[in-house]
Amino acid sequence: MEVAESKSKKAGGRLCSTCNQRKAALKRPKTLEQICRECFYEVFEEEIHQVIVGNQLFKAGERIAIGASGGKDSTVLAFVLSELNRRHNYGLDLFLLSIDEGISGYRDDSLQTVKRNEIQYGLPLKIVSYKDLYGWTMDEIVKVIGLKNNCTFCGVFRRQALDRGASLLKVDKIATGHNADDIAETVLLNILRGDIARLSRCTLITTGEDGPIPRCKPFKYTYEKEIVMYAYFKRLDYFSTECIYSPNAYRGFAREFIKDLERLRPRAILDIIKSGENFRISTSTKMPEQGTCERCGYISSQKWCKACVLLEGLNRGLPKMGIVRSRGQNNERTKDMKQNKGTKNIESKQCGTLDF
Amino acid sequence: MACNSATGCQSGCYKNEFERDLKPATETISDSNEQNLCVKCKANEPTPGAGEDGKHCLDCFRSNLFGKFRLAVASNALITPADNVLVAFSGGPSSRVALQFVHELQQRAQKNFDASKDRSLPVFGVGVVFVDETAYYPVPSSEIDNAIQEIKLIVSNLSPPTKELHVIPIESIFCSNPCDGRERFKKLVDSVSDATGKEDLLLQLRMLSLQKFASENGYNRLLLGLCTSRIACHVITATVKGRGYSLPADIQYADARWEIPVVLPLRDCLAQELNMLCQLDCLKTVELLNQTHSGINGLVSSFVKILQEENPSRESTIMRTAGKLTPFHFNKIPELNDSSVPLASQRRQKRFNLKPNESISSESFCSLCYSPLNQSDLTSLSSHDNCKNSDIFVAACCSSCRFQIFPKDPSSMEKFYSLLPEPLVARAKHVRNGDSSLLREQIQDFLLSDSEDDA
Amino acid sequence: MQLTLEFGGGLELLCDSVKVHNVDVVPPKGSEKLIMKDLLSWVGTNLIKERPEMFMKGDSVRPGVLVLVNDCDWELSGQLDTTLEEKDVVVFISTLHGG
Repeated sequence: MEVAESKSKKAGGRLCSTCNQRKAALKRPKTLEQICRECFYEVFEEEIHQVIVGNQLFKAGERIAIGASGGKDSTVLAFVLSELNRRHNYGLDLFLLSIDEGISGYRDDSLQTVKRNEIQYGLPLKIVSYKDLYGWTMDEIVKVIGLKNNCTFCGVFRRQALDRGASLLKVDKIATGHNADDIAETVLLNILRGDIARLSRCTLITTGEDGPIPRCKPFKYTYEKEIVMYAYFKRLDYFSTECIYSPNAYRGFAREFIKDLERLRPRAILDIIKSGENFRISTSTKMPEQGTCERCGYISSQKWCKACVLLEGLNRGLPKMGIVRSRGQNNERTKDMKQNKGTKNIESKQCGTLDF
Repeated sequence: MACNSATGCQSGCYKNEFERDLKPATETISDSNEQNLCVKCKANEPTPGAGEDGKHCLDCFRSNLFGKFRLAVASNALITPADNVLVAFSGGPSSRVALQFVHELQQRAQKNFDASKDRSLPVFGVGVVFVDETAYYPVPSSEIDNAIQEIKLIVSNLSPPTKELHVIPIESIFCSNPCDGRERFKKLVDSVSDATGKEDLLLQLRMLSLQKFASENGYNRLLLGLCTSRIACHVITATVKGRGYSLPADIQYADARWEIPVVLPLRDCLAQELNMLCQLDCLKTVELLNQTHSGINGLVSSFVKILQEENPSRESTIMRTAGKLTPFHFNKIPELNDSSVPLASQRRQKRFNLKPNESISSESFCSLCYSPLNQSDLTSLSSHDNCKNSDIFVAACCSSCRFQIFPKDPSSMEKFYSLLPEPLVARAKHVRNGDSSLLREQIQDFLLSDSEDDA
Repeated sequence: MQLTLEFGGGLELLCDSVKVHNVDVVPPKGSEKLIMKDLLSWVGTNLIKERPEMFMKGDSVRPGVLVLVNDCDWELSGQLDTTLEEKDVVVFISTLHGG
C-alpha cells in the first residue's frame, strides 16, 4: 500500500470529492463521485446503516444469523454488521451461519474462510451440513443423479438448511449478503421466466415475515463493485471459487447483461430495482397457501415439502422424483421444473450464494 | 384475451368472420401418420420457414397470423365501422404486415357492406402515413425520393378501397415554417448528450407528429405495427430505465391517453413471423434507414435477440410477464357515448371493456414522455410554485427523462425548454392544470346521476 | 518495464492459480510508453492460460472485472488509456464469483 502513496502523480491531480484532501481511490457507481479510501469506508458503512434504520431491519435485542458462505458478500456483511452493531449500539446478537453442502474442494475450502472470520470478527459460528440434515452430501447426490439437476437439489436443500440452522441458533432473523446487482439480476430473470409472483417479492428488503424466520438484505442498494472494493481495501479474507458442480453458473448470461449495462449506465442497476419496486402487480395475485410438510414439519404449500420429495426420491433410488412429475399431481413443482428447464441457459450465479 | 362473449354479435364487429376463419387454425394438433403434410390442415405440403419448425403450409401460417391480428382487433374493439384509421407505415416488415392486414379487413368489411341490404354499417376508412425522419438520419435525397415512390406504389396497390398516403416530415410538429422547424428539431435533438435519451426523444417527437397529423386530418385511430418482439424489448428497456411503474401503459392493445387512441393489433405476432410472411407473400418492404439502436436500447435488443435464438418462446414470455402487470384506465378504447353511434356498437363496446376501471385515480403524466408518474416521482411536484416555466416543466417529469434527456447543467435548461415543440409544451401545461378538472370530471358522473333521479 | 500484476476474485484460476506475477513488459514498437490497453493484450497472450473470455471482452476487461493501478480505480485514471510506469502494481479482481 505504501507503493500507492509514493506514486501519486498518476491520476494524482484527482482529489476526493468529499474531503478534498486525499487522493481519490475509486469512482462510485452510484453517484459517479471520485472518492478517497477513508471517505469511501465512511459513506459505504453509513449508507448501509441508513438502509438498516430506514427499513427497520432489526430491533434491539434480536438474535441475527448472517448467512455466511465465505464469499465476498457475506464476508463484507459480517464485517460491516458487527462494526455497525458496535458503533450504533443496535444491541444485536450476531451469529455466522454456514451450510456445508458436502462438496469437497469447494465448500470445505470456503468453510475454512468462515472459520477464520469467526475468530477475526468474534462472531459465533454454526455450521449445518446436508449430511447431518438429510443424510446425503452433495458429492454423494451428484454421484447418483449426475450433473444435470444437481443445482435443483442443492438450492432446495440449502434454503431449508438455512432455516433449520437458524432455528437451532434460535435467531429472530437471517441477514443475507444479496447485493444490488443480485437483485437487479433476479428482477430480470423473473421477467424472462414469466414468474410474476416472484417478481413481486424479489425486491422486498425483508421477506418471509409470515414464515418461521424472516430474511433481510441489508446490501439491497449496495453495488457489487463497492463490496469488492471495500473487501479489497480492507484486506478482508474471502473465498472466491465457483462451485465445481455448476461451471456454467459463471457464464451467467443475465449477469453479463447487468455488467454490460453497468458499464454503459451505472445507475441502471438501481433503476432496475426501482422498477421492480414500482411494478403494478395486483395484490390479488394468488399466493400458494402455506401449510406444513406432513413429514418434516417445514413450511410447504404441498403435502410434503420439496426437500422431502427430493429426499424420498434419493432414498428410494428414484432420483428423478420431484424433478420429473406427471401433470397435475403437483402443480407447483411441475411449474418449477419447467422454469428450470427453460432458464438453463440464462441462469446465472445461482450456486455458491445463499439462495432466496 | 380470448373473445368469450362471442354469441349474438350481429353488428359491425368482425368477430363473426374471425371465428369462421380461425377454425382451421385452432384445431388441435393430433398425431398424424401422414408425413410431410401441414400439421394444421393436413392437406397441403408444409412451406419451409412457415410457422413453427416449418411444419405449416403457407395458407395455415398466414391465416394463423391474420387470426391473431383479428382477434386483437375484435376483442379490444380496436377498429369499429365508423372509425377512420391512420396506419403508421415505416416501410419495415411489421408495419407492412399491419398495413396488409388492415387492408384485408377493410376489403371484407366492404364486401359485407356491398352485400348487406340496409347498408347500415359503414366501412371504416384507412389512411397511411410515412414519417420522413431524414432530419435525423441523413439520407441522400434521391434515396428518400425513391423510397417514397415505392411506398406510393405499395399503398396504391392496396385498393380498393383506396387509401390516402401522407408523407410528413418529423419536424412538422414545430409549428413554425418548415425550414425553421428542421433547424429547431436538429438543435433540440443535438442538445441531448445521452445516446439512449436522444433515441427516446426522437420516439416522442415521432409520436407527437403522428398525433398532430391524425388529429388535424380527421383520423380517430392511430395504428402501429408494434409486435411482440419489439414490445419484449420495450419491457426490458423500460425496466432498465426505472420505468417499471408506467411500463404497462405502453404495451397494451390500446392506449387512449393520447388524443388519438393508439392501437397495436400485432401485439401477439413475433417479428420473425412477420418477416417470414413478407418473404413468403412477397410483400414489398422499404428498408430506407438502417436504424440500429444505440445505448441501452441497443444493448437490450441484442440481449433479447440472443435469448430468443436460444429459446423461441422467450419474447412471448417476456411480454406475457409484463402483460400481468396492471394496465391503466386509459388502456382501452373509450366508450362511445355519442348518440350518432349505432346502439349495437355501443353495446359491443361495453362488453369488450370487461375490466372495471382499475384506478381512475388522478393519474399525472410526465411532461416530456407522457408516461404516468408514480408517487415517488410526484413528490417533487408540489414544491414548485413560483418558478420559471422550464423549472415547472422539469419538476413534472419522470426521473428517467430528467436523467437521460435533460441537460445536466441547469443553466442550459431554459434553452432546451425553448426548443421544445409547442404541442408538447402545451400538453404539459394542460396536464398540470388537468388535475383539478379531472376531479371535476369524476364528480360530474355523480352530478349527472343525481339529475337523472330528479327527472 | 517491471510491473507487478495481481489476480484476485477467482481470476487467478485462469493463470495457473498464481495470484502475483512479477513481469517485464516492453512497450509496443514505435511507442515509448506503455498503456493499459497494451498491457491487457500482453496479459491475454502471456498469462491467461484458459478461458480468456472470462478476463477479456473486446480489447478491454470483461465487465465485472475491477482494475486498480497502484490501488486506484482505473476508472479514475483513464481506463484503457492509463499510462503505466516502472514498478506499477496492477490488480485485477473479478466480482463475478460467488458471494
